[in-house]
Amino acid sequence: MKLTDLEKINDHLWEIPKSHRPDMHVPARVYATETMLQSIVQDRSLEQLVNVCTIPGIRKYALAMPDVHEGYGFPIGGVAAVGASDGAISPGGIGYDINCGVRLLRSSLTLDEIRPRLEKLAHSIAREIPSGVGRGGSVRLKGQDLDLILRDGARRAVEMGHGREDDLKHIESGGRLDGADPHVVSQVARERGFDQLGTIGSGNHFVEIDRVEQIFDEEEAARLGLVRDGIVVQIHTGSRGLGHQVATDSIKGMMKAMPAYGITVADRELACAPISSREGQRYMGGMASAANFAFANRQLITAGIRRAWSREFGDDVVEIVYDVAHNVAKVERYPDVGEVVVHRKGATRAFPGQPVLIPGSMGTASYVLVGLDGAMEQTFGSSCHGAGRTMSRTKARTQINAEELRGRLRKLGIIAEAGSSKGLVEEAPEAYKDIDAVVDVVARAGIAKKVARVVPIAVVKG
Amino acid sequence: MYELVHHIADVRLRVAAPALEELFRDAVRGMYAVMRGASERDSQPVQRTIEVDESPDTTALLVDFLNEVLNRAQIGHELFTDVLFTRFDGTSLTATLSGIAPASFEEDVKAVTYHEADVRREGEAWTTMLVFDL
Repeated sequence: MKLTDLEKINDHLWEIPKSHRPDMHVPARVYATETMLQSIVQDRSLEQLVNVCTIPGIRKYALAMPDVHEGYGFPIGGVAAVGASDGAISPGGIGYDINCGVRLLRSSLTLDEIRPRLEKLAHSIAREIPSGVGRGGSVRLKGQDLDLILRDGARRAVEMGHGREDDLKHIESGGRLDGADPHVVSQVARERGFDQLGTIGSGNHFVEIDRVEQIFDEEEAARLGLVRDGIVVQIHTGSRGLGHQVATDSIKGMMKAMPAYGITVADRELACAPISSREGQRYMGGMASAANFAFANRQLITAGIRRAWSREFGDDVVEIVYDVAHNVAKVERYPDVGEVVVHRKGATRAFPGQPVLIPGSMGTASYVLVGLDGAMEQTFGSSCHGAGRTMSRTKARTQINAEELRGRLRKLGIIAEAGSSKGLVEEAPEAYKDIDAVVDVVARAGIAKKVARVVPIAVVKG
Repeated sequence: MYELVHHIADVRLRVAAPALEELFRDAVRGMYAVMRGASERDSQPVQRTIEVDESPDTTALLVDFLNEVLNRAQIGHELFTDVLFTRFDGTSLTATLSGIAPASFEEDVKAVTYHEADVRREGEAWTTMLVFDL
């Protein structure tokens, strides 16, 4: 893709017209500054976005958020809405890590109060919450217990004693997606997930303790219980192996079914089926089940953090600020397109007034935003989901020294509890885009407004 | 043979071999090279048999096969370094996998994707690209 293939709409919005390729049903739009766009065209993100424009039943346009980067099938940071009655659902538009998402917790402690025990706290959290590859959690679900988690998500986790009823009010969709059908979740998916509840996993997943560095909107911050120099905790993880397998099973099934529906796709990872079809309904039921597993996973991790917190700080109460999914499909209604299924792959729902959590990389800031009306008008109620990578994992491993990175983080006052040096360098700050610039685009576009900027003081990861 | 190729977020593997079965075997070895075991020296040897049936074509067969290998790896905490095919046609296979059961892996592969996968003959070699979701 060349810059000249894009038409400028305004300083932060660009369009690839429908005429760019004959099989596009709608145009593609990209939220980015011109500088960011010059970097975005270096990978295949926008070719992938054009492919998304060919999905049957797609409405208005396919969207790329400013943190967009190359994925497979859909780009990461992609949004697409398809008609609920005539559209096709594509598991690749949600991704393998179904309901990968972020939960934000807040403590009543300040930096001065937490600093003396921070190292011990980080270590204690690392012991409570398994991370890395091949490490199972302390809860092993079987038979009906797993079915209940798949059906009821965080609600079931609370019923099992891993949280409080009040927690559910602060989770997207109450921590439970409707329409879950545990019976369509394969035995292999169950075997991959049965011991992974309450675990972070590896890659870019983490638990991070942050200090609220800056408040942009006092009123919204007060509503969310955020104060300057207050302490918050981010949890970034998803549905683990169970969700990965639901996606794999569904893509395989849809690839076989597509000829019967007369569907061809530009990339096999865009395999799709009519939402109303047997394959479409099976996926919707399986995806909701995996999403509920992810909500429950973040609920168990919250319980682990609370246990660690309690050991260090007695009765300080750790509350949930909010929990958002950034890899999920949802049935929503918009005035101009009616009822649609919105695919969000590496994109966060940003309904007006809803908290939007944008994690940065380890060593850089993260943001708390609140969705605005502009999101409903422009982006099917969606925002960016993170900083977005600019350096491959392979390059990060060859260019960044783990000890040098640990030293640099220490100088910034950040404690890193990492399972492996490899995992640490792959997620180094320089491997990611400038999150301030990404969030500025979203704010200037009127999609979401800035509420708080938080900076890490301790990171726990695989 | 296989080689890792630049990908911004995941892992891209280029595989080439003179015969199809060798291409499949080298892809398994490539996946092992990505995942790697921690403390492999004390790992117990393991052997598993898997079957894949009714893939739409040879490219899909390779991806489906690798996803089956990945399932075995994730569920049994096992890694596979070699494979012997007892049945192999363009759309189905039976294979015996040999490998080890390490304490944990270096890298978590979520899935083997169909993205960019295209098994084709180029001169004397069978080739394909593979993208693993990390």
